[in-house]
This record gives sequence, structure tokens and C-alpha cells, in this order.
Amino acid sequence: MSFLDKIKARLGKKVGDSMEKAAVPAKEEAPKKAAAPAKEAAPAAPAALSPELAALLPGAPPGGKIKFAHYWGAACGGCDVSMLDIDEKILTVGDMVDIVFWPIAADGKVSDVEALEDGEITLTLFNGAVRNSENEHMAHLLRQKSTIMVAYGSCAMLGGIPGLANTTNTKEILDYVYTKTPTMGAFQKTQKSPVIPQTLYKAPEGDLDLPVLYDTVKALDQVLDVDYYVPGCPPTQKTIAVLLGALIDHVYNGAPLPPKGTVIGAEDKTLCEECPRKKENRRITKVVEPHEIDVDPELCLMDQGIICLGPATRAGCGAPCTQAGQPCRGCYGPTSAVDEQGASMLTALASLFPVLDDDPNMGEDQIIDIMRQVKDPLGYFYQFSMAKSLIRRSVKEKGGK
Amino acid sequence: MSETFEPKIIAFCCNWCSYAGADGAGVARLQMPTNFRIIRVMCSARVDPEHVLRAFAKGADGVVILGCHPADCHYIGGNYRARRRIALLRFVLEEYGFDPKRLKLEWVSASEGEKFQTTITEFVNTIKELGPTPLEEAN
Repeated sequence: MSFLDKIKARLGKKVGDSMEKAAVPAKEEAPKKAAAPAKEAAPAAPAALSPELAALLPGAPPGGKIKFAHYWGAACGGCDVSMLDIDEKILTVGDMVDIVFWPIAADGKVSDVEALEDGEITLTLFNGAVRNSENEHMAHLLRQKSTIMVAYGSCAMLGGIPGLANTTNTKEILDYVYTKTPTMGAFQKTQKSPVIPQTLYKAPEGDLDLPVLYDTVKALDQVLDVDYYVPGCPPTQKTIAVLLGALIDHVYNGAPLPPKGTVIGAEDKTLCEECPRKKENRRITKVVEPHEIDVDPELCLMDQGIICLGPATRAGCGAPCTQAGQPCRGCYGPTSAVDEQGASMLTALASLFPVLDDDPNMGEDQIIDIMRQVKDPLGYFYQFSMAKSLIRRSVKEKGGK
Repeated sequence: MSETFEPKIIAFCCNWCSYAGADGAGVARLQMPTNFRIIRVMCSARVDPEHVLRAFAKGADGVVILGCHPADCHYIGGNYRARRRIALLRFVLEEYGFDPKRLKLEWVSASEGEKFQTTITEFVNTIKELGPTPLEEAN
């Protein structure tokens, strides 16, 4: 008996026929820990569902459960976990969807997806960037089988942290990882030639292959058509709630979905609007890291000299990082008014340095010295959006004639 | 590269000094290469780094930003802001792998037609030495 069935039985509700379908159990294991204590306390009258619980357990949608897939490309797995971090709302998800494919949570095979009709999956959340041939193949397959394709999380939407690999290329990465790191270096010394994974190996028993790692990491919409975007690293509960709310309303009440291309759960203001810290618009002369100073809990981090990507980042997350004393890293991406998150951050930051009295006489070197305080601006300003920036990847000067 | 390489250069000129300087160079019939396209902006600080990056992304071989001399800005401090931004932007371009010389910031006043001419000539020569933009999509 699954977790949901137990709850329903305890609450005296007749278990809907949809609950018997076999595809759900793996997912229901996970929320057990999070959701169980709350439910234990809630039911005073076991005969009927409390109104809150009834709202959470609407039963299967009129047309039967919708099919749902959640897949990861180049990702850390945080987005998958975020889906399980939505507290009691997971109950509604359990009632509403039939998980056909979700490698981290449910047992499903690629062949199961291949066997589906085109567009049979109602919703696919694709998290992670597209970085190798397998990611790309799966993305295309899921796009074909899905009605709604959502770029879920910063990596799918913007390229995310894996996008920073665009500052280098496959050859350099493999070289470094397999021959130059100290641990591998010692091993490689004992080899006649460097041992680097091959994408194809012809064994007597048959060919063995590995996905091909691409030079350029791409966001999901750079390889296929995406319907909606959900930002965040990972998307916050608040953002997921907006996504689920829209979906539930659509599935149960037939409400229209938001227009295609909507960034769901995010606003068009910048994070600063949402951040409760007090802004004094101070000028800064020194850039610091949070651990170097005693961070004032009330004052804007930028005012304190900490580089915070708030001014260049979309609001919607509720500013959990800045409230915890850590600068925003920009995972919600740029606002719709700009294309370049890094460039807006660069502008905002450079303007914070005050015009000095001797500015008219300052040489170029002095200006460079001031700005050199910003270490690794590319990595800092484009931490999540490198793959979607205008330049997109590093280049190599070939030299003139 | 090829001997016929003619760089594409975007020149952002501030309305109050450099654009007038460029005008002056034209009126005085000063000879200079024709590889540049001027975009007139109200102030050098109006040039968002995004504009520069977009120019590079669309295949510009070099970008030059011309503003009023320090202490001469029509808006008092615009050029000071601009040079901080451009310095920082140059680091970013360097990290991308561009030669930072592809982005130049220079001060040209309204009366300096000749300086406009030499700045452009020198910049075109620098870019010719550097060769076409390393951006693959552009080539």
C-alpha cells in the first residue's frame, strides 16, 4: 500500500480508481519523511477530509491522470529534488499525474518513452543544460512526446553553472581532468599513453559507446522549442507553487495556460525590489567577500562592498540568499528588458565606484587598478547565463597577417 | 589573414564632443579609412556594455567609444563612469579570449577633428594587425 493510499484509508476516503495505477510508488517514497508529520497532526475527524486536505487531494482529473516526465540533462540533481521539496503540494501532484519517466525518482526506461504517442506526455520538466549527445537526444525525444516542454531551472533556461564550461573546450577539459590533475597525473605516468575516455570502443562482443561531450554547452531553447521557463537554482518552492497552480487550474478547471514563452514564477522587477535589505546607495571603494567583513544584517550587501547580482537578476525567488547574508548569484537570470545579465551587472557595479577628486588627472592604469579588484568578472557576472550571453563561448584570436 | 581584410568597426560617439569632432574632421576633409560606422549616443556613459557585446556578437572586428575629455563631460561625470565600465568590460572580453585592444576608449573634443582622424586611423591599423574577429559565427 502506498503512502497516499494509507493516508486516504486513514481519513476514510474512498480510494479513487486512479490510485491503483502502478507507476507512482517510487515518487511517493520520497515525500514520506517531509509530509508525514504534518498529516499525522491534521486529521481530527477521520470520517471526512478537512477542507485543506480535500483541496490538496482533488482526485484524478476529469480526463484521467496526466502523464508527466522529469528529465535531467547536464545537471546536479538539485532540480529533481526541488520537486520533492514542495511539502504538502506533492499530494496534489500524486493525484494529478502519472509519472512516465523520472530517472531520479521513478523506474522508467527510455524505451517506455519511445513507445508513447507523440504529445502523449502532458508535461515534461527538463532540467539541466544540453552538454552531450545523450542530453540532446533525450531532449528531442521528450519534446516530441510532450505537449508542454518546460525548461526547468537555471541550467535548462540559461545554461547555468555547466555553461561556464564554455570558457574552455572539450579537449582542454578532458586533458586537464584525465592527465593534469594531481591524482590522475600519477596514474598517467605509469601508462604508455594518456588514458582518456573514448566515445566508441570496439569490443569483440560489440561496440561500446559513451555520449559525445560537446565543446559548447547550450541552454534547452538553443536546441529545441521550449514552451515555458522556470528559473532558479533550484526553483524555489514559491516558484514551483506558481507552476503547479497554473497546471492544476488548467487540468482540473480548464483554465488557459499562460502565453508561450512565459517565465513562470518570476517577476519583471529586479531582485533588489524584493530584497528586504536597506539600500543607502553608498559608493564603494573596496570589493570584499562576505567572510572578510562583519556583514551588517540590515544593510544592502552592495553598500557593504559585496558584489551581489541582485541589480541584474529577476525577482521571484523571495531573496533567500541575501536574507541569509549571502550575495545573489543571479540564478533567476536577467529581466526581460535586457539580454545580458553580465553586462547589466557590470554596468551596475562599475557605477558604484565613486568619481574621485583626482579623476580628471587619473591615468588609464589607475582606473585598471581600481577595477582589478573585481576578480574573474566573467565567471562572476555570467555565473548562470554564460551559455545565453551574446558571445556565448570563449574565442581564440588567430592573429593578423 | 587575407590581404583584403577590411575591418568592420563600430564607433560610439558622444553627442556633445566626439560626434562634433567627427563632424569637424569631415568638414575639414581630413582623410581617414572608411571602415567605421558611427553610432551617435548622448554620452559615452550611455554605451551599455551590452551594446558593445552585441556589436562583437554581430561580427564587429573592433569597437571604439569616443567621449568628452575628463572634466569636460556635458553631464559632468558620464565619461568617468564610462571609463570604469569599459575597463571592466575589457577584462570580460579578455576572459572571453578577445584581444582587449579590440575595444578602445578615447577622448575627442568637439574641436579635435584631427584627433578623431588619428584615433580612427590608428585603431583601424591595430585591428588590421589583429585580424578578423575571432568569433566563429561571424567568420
